[in-house]
Amino acid sequence: MRQLRATLLLSICSLMLISCAEVKAWERGYLAREEMAWDPNSLESSLNDHIFFSKEASSGGNSTAGGGCGCN
Amino acid sequence: MKNASRSIIALSSTAMALPGIALSDAPPTQSTVSYKLSNYQEDDLSRSEAPIGELERYEIDVHQFQLVSPLGRNMSLHVDANYESLSGASPWFTSRSLDGEPVVNLSGPSGIWDRRAELSVGSRFYLENGSFAGKIGYSEENDYSAFSFGLNGEKNYNNDLTTVSVGLSYSSDQIFPTDAALFNRVIEDDKQSTSVFFSVSQVINQVSSFQSALSITEQSGFLSDPYKLRDIRPDNKTQIAWSNSYRRFFVSTNAALHANYRYYHDDFGVNSHTSDLSWYQNLGRTLQLVPTLRYYNQSAANFFTNVDNFLNPISEYQSSDYRLSTFGAVSGSLSVIADMGSWTATLTAERYLADDKYSAFEVSKPSTALVKYNRISLGIDFRF
Repeated sequence: MRQLRATLLLSICSLMLISCAEVKAWERGYLAREEMAWDPNSLESSLNDHIFFSKEASSGGNSTAGGGCGCN
Repeated sequence: MKNASRSIIALSSTAMALPGIALSDAPPTQSTVSYKLSNYQEDDLSRSEAPIGELERYEIDVHQFQLVSPLGRNMSLHVDANYESLSGASPWFTSRSLDGEPVVNLSGPSGIWDRRAELSVGSRFYLENGSFAGKIGYSEENDYSAFSFGLNGEKNYNNDLTTVSVGLSYSSDQIFPTDAALFNRVIEDDKQSTSVFFSVSQVINQVSSFQSALSITEQSGFLSDPYKLRDIRPDNKTQIAWSNSYRRFFVSTNAALHANYRYYHDDFGVNSHTSDLSWYQNLGRTLQLVPTLRYYNQSAANFFTNVDNFLNPISEYQSSDYRLSTFGAVSGSLSVIADMGSWTATLTAERYLADDKYSAFEVSKPSTALVKYNRISLGIDFRF
């Protein structure tokens, strides 16, 4: 838990330290591109999450899809 | 069947997909139907890893369907349906070989065949400075069923440069193992999962953005694997995952970089680090290449053993599940995406290698059944 607290603190500090520029609405063309989305291909990412979930102990904190368990 | 529910994870972020940059706060203007067919095959074990019995592991086919459509002026509809079938053998128990090394014994491939069908329906309602969404889902296997629901909302601040998202989801799962009486398995049991999710997305400048997300999941009920000869786990588990994502567009090369990192901890004793990098390279107006590299490293659960001890009292936690061992995994994939107007085709090939040698954590009990697999996928999207 100590490690988690440290990483959380680091994250918050990082967010605060990032000097975010004022980006006007008409200056967001690159940000709006499909390949800049957090999840450009939801089927691909949900499949990957499903497979990794079934091979590894970790899960969560990600955009995933699907339900049940998936034993493979 | 797998011991931990994933539906809860699904609903904490799904249809509702992770909040985009505020630019996307509008319902889709057209409908999209998607289909993806995937096949992945686990490598066979070697005779040194499994001295007797079967060596052939799982082969899985996955069919994914998705519909995303506008609903009136302020709403969108999300429908997902998945079907997968698998056959092969999985680790049953571990023991020592004649030379004292831990070895694994697989269940017979002829006896294992399963399929999973899943349907989920969700909707998102768009407001002036945010949106909220709901989703319900049902999943069924030969020996497992799960019902789940989730709620998610996001709000934009700071001239739409900052997005805050929160989510809550719940899943109720039932397990009823096959051949329970024959192999002295639990006849029927259940488990519940509740998850909360919080994220902040921030536009950094005209070409880059950052997101940090925290999810906490509480599981209770039957969390063991009934198909292992001896597998006894606690009936409560708390999972914490902290994820960070960075996106940057490179104008000069017409490409986008995706960098992701996740730290995970649960009270079974597992800690893990996951990092991945993807490069979205546009080639003209119709082609895109996406190479991806991923590295994963986890420590073992407190009660993991690489040699089952059947003399232990059944009140003592014990599991030889390789997924609870210390190991590292590297994987690489390449996607080729062709955009042909209303149609988009995506072909992906991937190789995944798990090995205790790849672990940065100290390995005191190496597992013998870690997975390697090849995957190939073909996806089609149609917009209308």
